[in-house]
Amino acid sequence: MCEYCEKYGEGTLWYLNSRNYGRQLYRRSRPGYVPDAISYRQERDKLWTEYFEAVADGLEKAERLRLSLDKLVQENEPCQVLPLKDVLKLIEIAQPVASMSCICRKQMRAADERSPAEYTCGGLGVGMLKWERWPERYRGGVHFMSIKEAQDWVTRLDRKGMMHCVMVYGSGYEGRPFVGGLCNCDYPDCYEIRHRLDYKLDHHLLKSHYVAMVDFNRCNGCGICAQRCQFGALKMEASRGKASIDMLRCFGCGLCHTGCPRDAIQLVQRESVPQLKEVW
Amino acid sequence: MVAPKISIDHGKCTTPFDCKKCLRICPQGVFWVLPVKNVRFKETDAKEPGAWKLIVQYRALCTDCGECRRVCPVAAITITSPAISAKGEKGERTG
Repeated sequence: MCEYCEKYGEGTLWYLNSRNYGRQLYRRSRPGYVPDAISYRQERDKLWTEYFEAVADGLEKAERLRLSLDKLVQENEPCQVLPLKDVLKLIEIAQPVASMSCICRKQMRAADERSPAEYTCGGLGVGMLKWERWPERYRGGVHFMSIKEAQDWVTRLDRKGMMHCVMVYGSGYEGRPFVGGLCNCDYPDCYEIRHRLDYKLDHHLLKSHYVAMVDFNRCNGCGICAQRCQFGALKMEASRGKASIDMLRCFGCGLCHTGCPRDAIQLVQRESVPQLKEVW
Repeated sequence: MVAPKISIDHGKCTTPFDCKKCLRICPQGVFWVLPVKNVRFKETDAKEPGAWKLIVQYRALCTDCGECRRVCPVAAITITSPAISAKGEKGERTG
């Protein structure tokens, strides 16, 4: 079972449990108190630099750093992939939803998204109402959306070829986290995907509750899905002329499923596949 | 495998967020640009010298293709390939 569903799911998927969105409401700031989020980020950034340099120089301490960094992220800022159908459900319970400029794309490709038409990152819950304190994080401002607008926005980005994930932030209230971010990502300008694929930091991006499978009778080999996979799990099998998905590499984001014009790719529950039910 | 060393002359590279040439051309996406000047209630100006800093984040992925050095308008990037020890080379040849 997914570790976050076990802790915070209360009988449903953890990101579909509305309690996990409200904790920000109860957080109080006290004078002179350094929020966990800030001290966590300082520690994380320091470890990142140390770990990435150790990997670059092929040092032995890299593995030790990887484990401590992964543990830190597991407790403070995990992130999980989810398919479009779950995002649409999530938006209904996670108001307010606001779109804003993506911090990963800003850092990695110096993207300067300046209008609601360009925004690719999503913020969830009442925490978003405080955005004006740090306009540098939210360059160009934030755009609050109705449920319908938000669903259309995510669907548009999905069509464009971006996969979705939800982000959790630290100890919101009584040590329990709150869901605060809804990202729309692609490789290489998303650090969650990169840290998982390139640096094996698993809790930066957990796999979704689903896994994709091809219906070979329906697949006609058009190849649209192959352009959409962000994880290198889907290839065109040249000899058969059909799509082929490596289920061990699949993150279950559902981009191939939503892009398929013939409905030849299905998402099945990860828990229904014996060898994958503990692979997150 | 040891990755190449990349050094950035921050005296020359002053407005990386506005210039963004290396960030956009790097096939491996090795660089990060960060706002070092964060003021409450104020957006950082992209053209202000020194307000942004270019860093090398994912050096392990660098292939030393030299594209960033080629496009840099102020020649701020230096790449040093890892030295291959003479002993290692000899060892490989004699096998």
